[in-house]
Amino acid sequence: MKEAKGSLLYLDGVSVAFDGFKAINNLSMVLKPGEMRAIIGPNGAGKTTMMDIITGKTRPDSGYVIFDGEIDLTQHDETDIAAMGVGRKFQKPTVFESHTVWDNLELALNRKRGVFSTLFYKTTGKDREQIDEILETIRLIARRDELAANLSHGQKQWLEIGMLLAQEPKLMLVDEPVAGMTDSETDETAKLLREIAKTRSVVVVEHDMGFVRNLDVKVTVLAEGSVLAEGSLDHVSANEKVIENYLGR
Amino acid sequence: MITPFIIKALDKKASWVVAILVAIAIFVPIANLALPRDSFFHIPNYAISLMGKYTCYALLALALDLVWGYCGILSLGHGAFFALGGYAMGMYLMRQIGTRGVYGDPVLPDFMVFLNWKELPWFWHGFDMFWFAAIMILFVPGLLAFVFGWFAFRSRVTGVYLSIITQAMTYALLLAFFRNEMGFGGNNGLTDFKDILGFDIQADTTRAALFAASCIALAISFLICSGIVRSKFGKVLVAVRDAESRSRFFGYRVENVKLFVFVVSAMMAGVAGALYVPQVGIINPGEFAPANSIEVVVWTAVGGRGTLVGPIIGAVLVNVGKTFFTAAFPEFWLFALGALFVGVTLFLPKGIVGSVSGLYGRATKPRDEHPNLHSAAKEAAAE
Amino acid sequence: MLKPFRFLVFLLLLPLLALPAAAQSDPRDLINELSQGKLRQRIAQVEAIAATGNSDVVPALQALKDGDLYFKKSDKTVYITRKSGRDLALLDPITGEEIEVVASGAVEKIKVNNSLRRLIDKAVGGLTLMSKDPSVRISAAETIFESGDPESLELLDEAIAAEQDPTVRKKMDLARAAVILNTDASDETKIEAVDLVAENGGRNVLNLLKGVTFNASPAVAEAANKAVEQIERTLVLWDYGQTIWYGVSLGSVLLLAAIGLAVTFGVMGVINMAHGEMVMLGAYTTFVVQEIIRNSFPELFNYSLLIALPLAFAVSGGCGLILERGVIRFLYGRPLETLLATWGVSLILQQGVRTIFGPTNKEVGNPDWMSGAYEIGGLVITANRLWIVVFSLFVFAALFVVLKKTPFGLQMRAVTQNRKMASSMGIRTPWVDAFTFALGSGIAGIAGVALSQISNVSPNLGQSYIIDSFMVVVFGGVGNLWGTLIGAMTLGVANKFLEPFAGAVLAKILILVFIILFIQKRPRGLFALKGRAVEA
Repeated sequence: MKEAKGSLLYLDGVSVAFDGFKAINNLSMVLKPGEMRAIIGPNGAGKTTMMDIITGKTRPDSGYVIFDGEIDLTQHDETDIAAMGVGRKFQKPTVFESHTVWDNLELALNRKRGVFSTLFYKTTGKDREQIDEILETIRLIARRDELAANLSHGQKQWLEIGMLLAQEPKLMLVDEPVAGMTDSETDETAKLLREIAKTRSVVVVEHDMGFVRNLDVKVTVLAEGSVLAEGSLDHVSANEKVIENYLGR
Repeated sequence: MITPFIIKALDKKASWVVAILVAIAIFVPIANLALPRDSFFHIPNYAISLMGKYTCYALLALALDLVWGYCGILSLGHGAFFALGGYAMGMYLMRQIGTRGVYGDPVLPDFMVFLNWKELPWFWHGFDMFWFAAIMILFVPGLLAFVFGWFAFRSRVTGVYLSIITQAMTYALLLAFFRNEMGFGGNNGLTDFKDILGFDIQADTTRAALFAASCIALAISFLICSGIVRSKFGKVLVAVRDAESRSRFFGYRVENVKLFVFVVSAMMAGVAGALYVPQVGIINPGEFAPANSIEVVVWTAVGGRGTLVGPIIGAVLVNVGKTFFTAAFPEFWLFALGALFVGVTLFLPKGIVGSVSGLYGRATKPRDEHPNLHSAAKEAAAE
Repeated sequence: MLKPFRFLVFLLLLPLLALPAAAQSDPRDLINELSQGKLRQRIAQVEAIAATGNSDVVPALQALKDGDLYFKKSDKTVYITRKSGRDLALLDPITGEEIEVVASGAVEKIKVNNSLRRLIDKAVGGLTLMSKDPSVRISAAETIFESGDPESLELLDEAIAAEQDPTVRKKMDLARAAVILNTDASDETKIEAVDLVAENGGRNVLNLLKGVTFNASPAVAEAANKAVEQIERTLVLWDYGQTIWYGVSLGSVLLLAAIGLAVTFGVMGVINMAHGEMVMLGAYTTFVVQEIIRNSFPELFNYSLLIALPLAFAVSGGCGLILERGVIRFLYGRPLETLLATWGVSLILQQGVRTIFGPTNKEVGNPDWMSGAYEIGGLVITANRLWIVVFSLFVFAALFVVLKKTPFGLQMRAVTQNRKMASSMGIRTPWVDAFTFALGSGIAGIAGVALSQISNVSPNLGQSYIIDSFMVVVFGGVGNLWGTLIGAMTLGVANKFLEPFAGAVLAKILILVFIILFIQKRPRGLFALKGRAVEA
């Protein structure tokens, strides 16, 4: 895979079918290191399935998924891929509800994750600093000792993003981060993501057009499992096919 | 490296539990052996053997709680590990009988002579030495748990599917141990033990010592469990229980996490079985019956899963109830047990300890079993 | 060794005995003449009886040979006798009807010697071979085949020449071949006979041919050897067939036990550990129905199972309804808790039944139409197993139709697929849940009716099926009815094929281990649904 050299994520001809239904059909996409990409598309376009494939949850029927220019992700499972530096935020915020905010972040910290390393693990000063820093970023410092279950929906979204930060991934996949957020929270989230994207690559799936515009990044439009158009938001918005398939006239 | 583990294990509340258990281990035998029979504090022999049984059950329930309460693995086959540990001990005790058996064979246990076997099967070798038996008590249940867990967790069998195949596992073992050809005494199991480590197994002092040993084993296991659930690994356990797939996406090897805790738990169950057998004087295939394993689940559920004191309290309470019922109204014990299953799941999902601590402590979500709350749980339990 | 066959002949003759005696001289008179004259005259007398060509006289001749033929001293009438305590019961020599019981002193035995016995054998063989009833002729031929008595050859040849019915003739030819093998005929004739016997095949000729391999000349022995091999090969095939049948039969039992579970666990996802007790309740309903019938309407006994079916469905279904409304509905979405609560219910039901009916096995009778056996080629199929296979397939088909073709089935599938959507479309989801569960339990109940015919009806009946049932449903693929059918049959057949090598218990263990491993490989069973919906 020579073409994959120098890219962070390289999808080529990926297809997957569920009982004959092609959820992803010959999808190709390239993401450069440090790039932030927004992915839009109608329901059922295959956005979540694409993330499932990248993170190892679903194995594609054909095609390559190359990470960091050389690793074929289709040969690895979720745990390996996460350890390689791919973080994922789910559509529905998924945090460990019976742990405190602090414990959630501690679990997410990029440390050794083996059975015995965790069994004999001792929290260091560095860990505390890092967690405090993240708490600051996601504005949950006041609620650090509360159970994650007691957070509001928006706060859980933020906590999950914070956990991704603690994971220190090279690539962050963010699925609908502003669903259920107020306008001001949405703006804050956009700011946060732009901040994050300075140090790593980010792929954001989102329906909220205002939010996507706010991110101001290259946009990929998916429909029926393959790429319909790619380019700036204005560019794709003008695309006939996109208007027909997604935006509507 | 091990220091933080121990420090965490011995947090204030856990130390209390351990201290109480050690105290029981010391004072109950004294009350039984040293105090005169008419003393108010004298504990009669039958009570010692009952309490010894309960302690073993408590250890078994604790082992189950470690996998079920903290990792969400509802094993309906923990009785199998208990029985395997029991059989390992039983084999040692059989070898100790020597020429005192009915047939007087110095090597072969009675049932083998009866079956006309000429030599000891290979897997009976070594069981004449206590240290070997002691290793096997940990190793055999651990190995079974490892092999079973290796396959099951790797292929991501979860929830009720896992429960059902653990039940099938113990059922298969039940059928296997009923066979005379297996070489474990078939239907009758192993019994007629004479002595353990050179002491007469029927003697009051031996019984008291066995009781004390059970308490100490429970205390040590409690410490280990406490250390596990308070470590970062314990947090991972709960994370896996509540959101297995999410933990994978954070890079945790869920199958290894489960496998480790499953094996540790199986070993504890094996120890419980090994201590149980000399105190009741028999081990037979009936211990593998699926119903037994499910009963352990209800002890744990009654006491409160996801707390460490809960299963101990539950096991003791339910078994005290069982002893009382089966003596007073034998007809009604199964009604009572059945009603307990239904009642606890419907009205007391967090068990006694969980519910009491819920009243005591902070308002929590129904499924919450955060480790920090255990302190509250234990305070409540100590009342 | 001959005795049972003679008895068989006798039995087959019984209906004939009721017919009016033949037109010629009344055989009864000839039989009565046996009371007169000396032993020397008896040969002529027997020949005269045989000459009637009337097979009604066979029992009398047999009795004469066995020394059971007596005459009354008072009036010299001849009777067949049977011991009746210290006395003798006198039976009519033709009809076999019991006439009276007399002290043994009142009658005298008709004497018989060995040459007479031989004559009688021949006469009986001839009479039965010439009988008007083809079934009598067939059994006569079979008797000769078994005995292979060379002396019957002449008779057989006569009978074969006269025989018109091709099936009877075939039997006679076979008997003739067997006889020839016992004579000192030429090798060619014997080899021909071996071929003829071998052609017929079956387990019963095997011994005959094996005997030939030891006693005959090399050429004949070789032919016989070949024939034996050939037959053994076919027998192995039949054995496979028989094993498959046993497997299907076991599979149908598993299917019956699991099919209700396929609804409650497979379709609804409810882990009902009390499922086995629903089966048990069905079996006890059958018991109660039979008790009532026995005591009050004995003539209805043959319909007892048909009466029990709807009742068992109602009893178990009703229990299921109460269980769902009272316990399970509070636990939806918490499968492990459901498992525990329903286990508790199963304990209560078991103890309840034990308290009411006692802990011992209850006798549930088989109606007439469920006893007996059929033989098809080398297969033996007992009627009760056959009915259970048919019944299990019928229940399966009926459930399939209910689920796929009725409005209730449609609602049921709608609710299980998307509860919220179904409820917003006006489906009363709680009631659909309740009735689905009742349906599954009711089916378990009627399974209990069938299982009461082949297993012990005791409070533990359910427990012995519960693990198997879960294995079948999980193995077949949860939520897939066809999977349950194929799973049950596969496990049944596999079990029966393992049994000869491993023994019943080990076979069962191996199957359990296999399923445990299989679930590791395919956690969702043989016929799993795929796709994103499942993953969620």
